[in-house]
Amino acid sequence: MRTVMQRWRLTVWVLPAVVLLLVFVYYPVVENVRLSFFSWNAFSRRPRFVGLKNYELMFGDQVFWTALVNNVLYAVISLVFQVGFALVLASLLEQFVHQRLRGWLRTIYFIPATISITVAGILFSFIYNPQIGLLNRLLEAVGLGQFAHAWLGDQSTAMFSIIAMSQWQSIGYTTVLLVVAIQRIPRELFEAARIDGAGAWRVFRNVTVPLVREMTTLLIILTISGAFLVFNEVMVMTAGGPDNATQVLGTWLYQKAFLQDQMGYASAVGTVIFVITFAIAIIQILISRRRRVQW
Amino acid sequence: MKNRFGRRAMVAGVALSALMLAACGSGSGDSPAPTANLSSPATKSGTLTVLTKFADPKYAPYFVAEAKAYEAANPGVTVDLQQVGDQPYKDKIRVLSAANQLPDVYFSWAGDFANKFVRAGAAADLTSVIAPDTEWGKTLAPAALKAFAYDGKYYGVPIDLDGKYLAYNTAAFTKAGISAPPATLEELLGDCDKLKAAGYEPIAFGNQYGWPAIHYITQLNMYNVPVDTLNKDYNPASGQFTDAGYVKAIQQFQQLISRCSNTSAANGLSHEAAQANLLSGKAAMQYIESLEFTALTKDGGASPVIANNWSFFRLPAAAGSAGDTNALTGAPDGFLVNSNSQNAALAVDFLKFLTSQQSAQKIVKDLGWLSPVAGSATDSNAYPQLQATLADMGKASQFAIWLDTVTEASVADAYLSGIEGLLSGSKTPEQVMQGVQAAAKQAAANQSS
Repeated sequence: MRTVMQRWRLTVWVLPAVVLLLVFVYYPVVENVRLSFFSWNAFSRRPRFVGLKNYELMFGDQVFWTALVNNVLYAVISLVFQVGFALVLASLLEQFVHQRLRGWLRTIYFIPATISITVAGILFSFIYNPQIGLLNRLLEAVGLGQFAHAWLGDQSTAMFSIIAMSQWQSIGYTTVLLVVAIQRIPRELFEAARIDGAGAWRVFRNVTVPLVREMTTLLIILTISGAFLVFNEVMVMTAGGPDNATQVLGTWLYQKAFLQDQMGYASAVGTVIFVITFAIAIIQILISRRRRVQW
Repeated sequence: MKNRFGRRAMVAGVALSALMLAACGSGSGDSPAPTANLSSPATKSGTLTVLTKFADPKYAPYFVAEAKAYEAANPGVTVDLQQVGDQPYKDKIRVLSAANQLPDVYFSWAGDFANKFVRAGAAADLTSVIAPDTEWGKTLAPAALKAFAYDGKYYGVPIDLDGKYLAYNTAAFTKAGISAPPATLEELLGDCDKLKAAGYEPIAFGNQYGWPAIHYITQLNMYNVPVDTLNKDYNPASGQFTDAGYVKAIQQFQQLISRCSNTSAANGLSHEAAQANLLSGKAAMQYIESLEFTALTKDGGASPVIANNWSFFRLPAAAGSAGDTNALTGAPDGFLVNSNSQNAALAVDFLKFLTSQQSAQKIVKDLGWLSPVAGSATDSNAYPQLQATLADMGKASQFAIWLDTVTEASVADAYLSGIEGLLSGSKTPEQVMQGVQAAAKQAAANQSS
């Protein structure tokens, strides 16, 4: 009897959180999927059932594919820099840099991560400015003036310019996480490897990389899912332009919903984002179970 | 990567969720606006909700002061004034509309942005109180009232007047040997060559976010396309955009920018950054709104280089243009009254206060805006160029409302992205119009279904 009472008490305590989750997470998700089968906007309050028409329109829309490719590009480049390069950087910091300098460098690398993404976006808009921007001035100063460019105004460079800003901001953060992961590896393993004659590369490949795999797995998942939720930096720096060259799924959803009044289409984009990020979350759960490091 | 799905995305997400809930909850469908009682309230009392897009610190204090002045004049009334920025306003008003929670008085751009509220039955028909032949209507510029007319009825209360002009540095023109502003597009192109030879960037042009180019196209469409065709195409239900004048307008724009400005840098440069070149005396001209004129004055912070040496003229039409060559790009901004408001009469009373002679003179003095209220710009509150602007607006045959607000949103977007592509060199004028035609076709199909 007492156990039943305890269970009821526990349920009552958990219930508010469950209700909040149902109302503000699961209901909107389900409702979003439902509304993606309707044509509706903020002004006509009578959603009209159109079946798969919104998906048909979306998959036939070149801008949607541009946005999806940009998200994939974002994910791939972010993986290279925020996981691959950050791991190398973290390893160098831990193995070769003097203790005192190490702390300074970690702080310097981490500072960009403390800046608001909107502020960083505006900052880089100035850096990329074709007339007074630091980047073009720097290129001119070192005799590479022929490469000076309207970085955010040219369709071929705009997306890469935004991604570069994101890498600048995030590498320090992931590096610090990886430094922590490396510090958790017992020192004896490094010493044993060196006694066995392993060089720096061998130690990195055979000791560091395998033993920080829990963290790298987590970062890979976070980086990929983050790349499909990217929004702020694009809105601040280009708003998806020029000629939709920097659209990502998030900004395209926003534009369709709030600027073009096509809520059904936007719901369909929302569903695609949900499916992608949900799939990534499932993969994360499956992989993290398998890749647990046992000391 | 952290914080990527940050505040703005959260806002958009919450807004979308709210819209979903609203769409689910309401089932009434579109209905004609109920007839609001607009006659003067017997007793003025209650709370009036007002939403503007003038959160900019330069503009917000004026509206706060006006709300307080109205409260002081009407002790029983509380004005609940909310002001948000230009871009967030577009999200917020849509969420409020979908949730049936529009305030009593809300801001609107002229054109299809306002017409959407009218078609949804969310804007009160103000014809009985503000039509040009009414007591209130007679105090306002007819062209400004017409900008908020739909199917012969009047829905909006214009609060300012805005026109688009080529502001120019008179000293630069003199140095380049140009004695008078150009009368035709061909003359303007010739003047650009002279200004370049004199060491100036002829026209400062930044097109980051797309709208600056659209303002050129708005004017050039008006010059090159017959008015009847334009009106038919700007209507979402009948838009086709097949007239040859549309391509010609884009070609003229392309020619103008390539000869008078830096095409390759345009998409990467903001309008404001480009304006710095005019203010510093490096550029000779910029196509700007009359609302921006204050930035060229001493009071607006301009250096003597420009503050003592500037004037303006309209973007000239090419010789033999087929459209209305006396139309002026621009439009008033205004306020709509919620058709479901219980305080509609009080809302009208507040808007009458906001467009009184006293308030209008204050808006000219405090913000440097032109008011649609007749006689509001005087020697005591307006600098000479502002008065000349008002006189010029009076000569215009009609306002050519901004292309990105007068057309259906997806058509506007096709224009915005298409012209960006044109400036990047990835699209031809014909390809831009193909995109616009496809968007117009889809918009017309949506309207009919």
